[in-house]
Amino acid sequence: MKASRSLLSIILIIILVVSFTAMALAQDLEIIPIKMRARAKPPMENWRGLNFLVAEKDLNADLEALGDPRRVKVEIIQDNMEWGPLITEFVLSYGVGEAPDIWLTGHEYIGAQAEAGRIIPLGGMIEEFPIFNLVFDNLWVSTMYKGKIWGVPQDAEARPLYWNKTLLKKLGWSDEEIAALPGKIEKGEFTLYDMLETAKQAVDKGVVKPGNGFWTRPKDGPDFTPFYYAFGGETINPATGKLVYDKTAGLKYYKFFYEAAQEYGSMGCLGLDWSEAWHPGVISKVLFWVGGTWQWAEWAEKFLKDLGGEAYMWENFGFGLIPAAEKGGKPNSLTHPMAFLVSSQCKYPDLAVALIAKVTNYGPNTRHAIASTHLGILKGQTEYKFYKGFRLLSEALYMLDYTTFLPNSPDWGTYSRITYEAMAACVSGDFTPEEAVDFVVEELNRELGDKITIK
Amino acid sequence: MPYTFLSPSLVVVTLFFFIPLVMVFILSFTNLDMTNFGILKWWQPANWTLDNYVKIFTNRFFPRILKNTLIYVSATLIFFNVGMALVIALITTNINRRVGFAFRLIWLMCRLTPVVVYIMIWKALAGPAPMGVINKHILGPLGIGAGEYLLNANPWLFVILVNGFIGASFGMIIFSSAIEAIPKDYMIASKVDGASTWQTIRYITIPMIRWPLLFVTTYQTLSLLTSFEQIMLLTDGGPGLYETEVWSLTAYHRAFTSYFGNTQWGYGSAWAVILVTIGIVMAIVYLRVFKFNELIQEPKIDQL
Repeated sequence: MKASRSLLSIILIIILVVSFTAMALAQDLEIIPIKMRARAKPPMENWRGLNFLVAEKDLNADLEALGDPRRVKVEIIQDNMEWGPLITEFVLSYGVGEAPDIWLTGHEYIGAQAEAGRIIPLGGMIEEFPIFNLVFDNLWVSTMYKGKIWGVPQDAEARPLYWNKTLLKKLGWSDEEIAALPGKIEKGEFTLYDMLETAKQAVDKGVVKPGNGFWTRPKDGPDFTPFYYAFGGETINPATGKLVYDKTAGLKYYKFFYEAAQEYGSMGCLGLDWSEAWHPGVISKVLFWVGGTWQWAEWAEKFLKDLGGEAYMWENFGFGLIPAAEKGGKPNSLTHPMAFLVSSQCKYPDLAVALIAKVTNYGPNTRHAIASTHLGILKGQTEYKFYKGFRLLSEALYMLDYTTFLPNSPDWGTYSRITYEAMAACVSGDFTPEEAVDFVVEELNRELGDKITIK
Repeated sequence: MPYTFLSPSLVVVTLFFFIPLVMVFILSFTNLDMTNFGILKWWQPANWTLDNYVKIFTNRFFPRILKNTLIYVSATLIFFNVGMALVIALITTNINRRVGFAFRLIWLMCRLTPVVVYIMIWKALAGPAPMGVINKHILGPLGIGAGEYLLNANPWLFVILVNGFIGASFGMIIFSSAIEAIPKDYMIASKVDGASTWQTIRYITIPMIRWPLLFVTTYQTLSLLTSFEQIMLLTDGGPGLYETEVWSLTAYHRAFTSYFGNTQWGYGSAWAVILVTIGIVMAIVYLRVFKFNELIQEPKIDQL
């Protein structure tokens, strides 16, 4: 009886000691949840978030080695939401104190969010991770607002002009002529109007149906801005951060789209549903179209898998820069880098930035670049074994030399909508190019007042 | 005591309808949007202006949106929500009861199907040549058309059909139950007097269902004015610039959608406030035209 009683007390003491030690250890280790929110089209863009799971282990190992009692637990939320609702979600979740710690979004949202104090400037923290020095300098420019850096670039892309080689051959082009086209565009020998002329020939000869000579994206978005730039337009005064609208360039821009639709058998694309009509259209019956490099993966993965995916696409599609407006002019492209932003509600921004540093490296970034056909963002990435092995990325990378950006302005959305509406009205024949410019000037003045300079 | 019974609904209506309505009304005078959310003190009268209303009425696309709304509401209402509903109700109450019931049940499928699925079915019907059902099985064999995406070729036809098929089922149920409730004596008496079917409908059925006709017309006008989800899913206001964009869809677009996220809540609210005002005015007009007061008077002869 006595023995069992002392045994019992020993067991009790052991239990107490063990549980106290465990509690003490548990108190030492602080688990910090980090919420990461991204828009990612599955399955191509899944690495946007998944890379953070790899980074989590890596960072926790670093913290353990240092003797830091903190451990991060990453929660990823990623889906294929539209950009507008994504930003609404961020703003509203911020309003109730539940903003994600790391928010991955287009760089052009920085202006609005920085003004509202919802994100923090990252200066001071990014210097602590020399890996960030590898990111291309011009990409950092896209994340600057009022002289501070507010985000870390995540990926980049080009928005090439694509063409259907099979249809060009039907039109009588030789293989050599088709192969020479990207070079001719780069040298400024093949202009936007040369493209429309070719489109018109294709329509006249019945190679494509009227309206299918040349297509852009079907809705408002970034793809139209490079055309405005091609005609000499500018969107922002970098010194003051004020939006700019150039009437002369605007008139040429609207004339181009008006004539494309009314005279050159093109632009039958506006208002189309993406997956019902636009994608199936461009991959089969359109001669020239503007898309993004990331759509290359989408077409291969979702729309042309049965026909052979990428192999079929190399056989049938070609791509180059957006041609210059005039002979000898400079062609361009537009990149719209995604950027990691850190919310001002994040309790441990240092850990958030540490995680971002982990995913900003050759391995994680190249995984994402290959799976989603986005361009790399790091210096020397073209030399990286796995990046170099992927044909599209190495063939499209030269486009970054000609790239342009959208302006980082809180009011860019309004500017973009107004200029798009006028363009759509030119395409439908409701506006003449002159009326379109008048409409844009009137609406921009009314909506943006002194936040816009009309030149 | 009656107020105690009323209180739950009163609380719900106040919390979820009246207060939001007042807020939307106030918001319509501010420029609250994504960029100044949390910064702009929208409840302060100093921040209230009429700018949004000026913007709406001077908008270049305002006449088109107004015209679209009128076409949408009147065409759907006349041809389907009241017209087709009345026709179906009259036919199905004049044939074998079971067959009539089965037909009405089938017609209800449009309303019973979740709206997203319903629209997907329509898109599949309207699809371009190799896939689209109408193109492949009807127009193709008949040699009509070039197999284009019918939704883009005739957006208005589809907008009205899609909404009308759902809308007609509401009136159909109300009208058929009202017709069934008409005492048979009137019908028999008219037959004895030698009235044709058309005369029976014209002089007995229609006057007897005047109250349900008023109710369906009023109710469906108001719900068509504010409904946009089918159009949003079907054409999203396209395919051309504002081609099928109706008023309520504009309010939604301005307040909640923008490619670059610059959603304008204040401006969208102003569109919505005008819509509510139009709805109220129309409801009053309807009540006057149909002499609502006379309809709800105590019956003069049929008293038990």
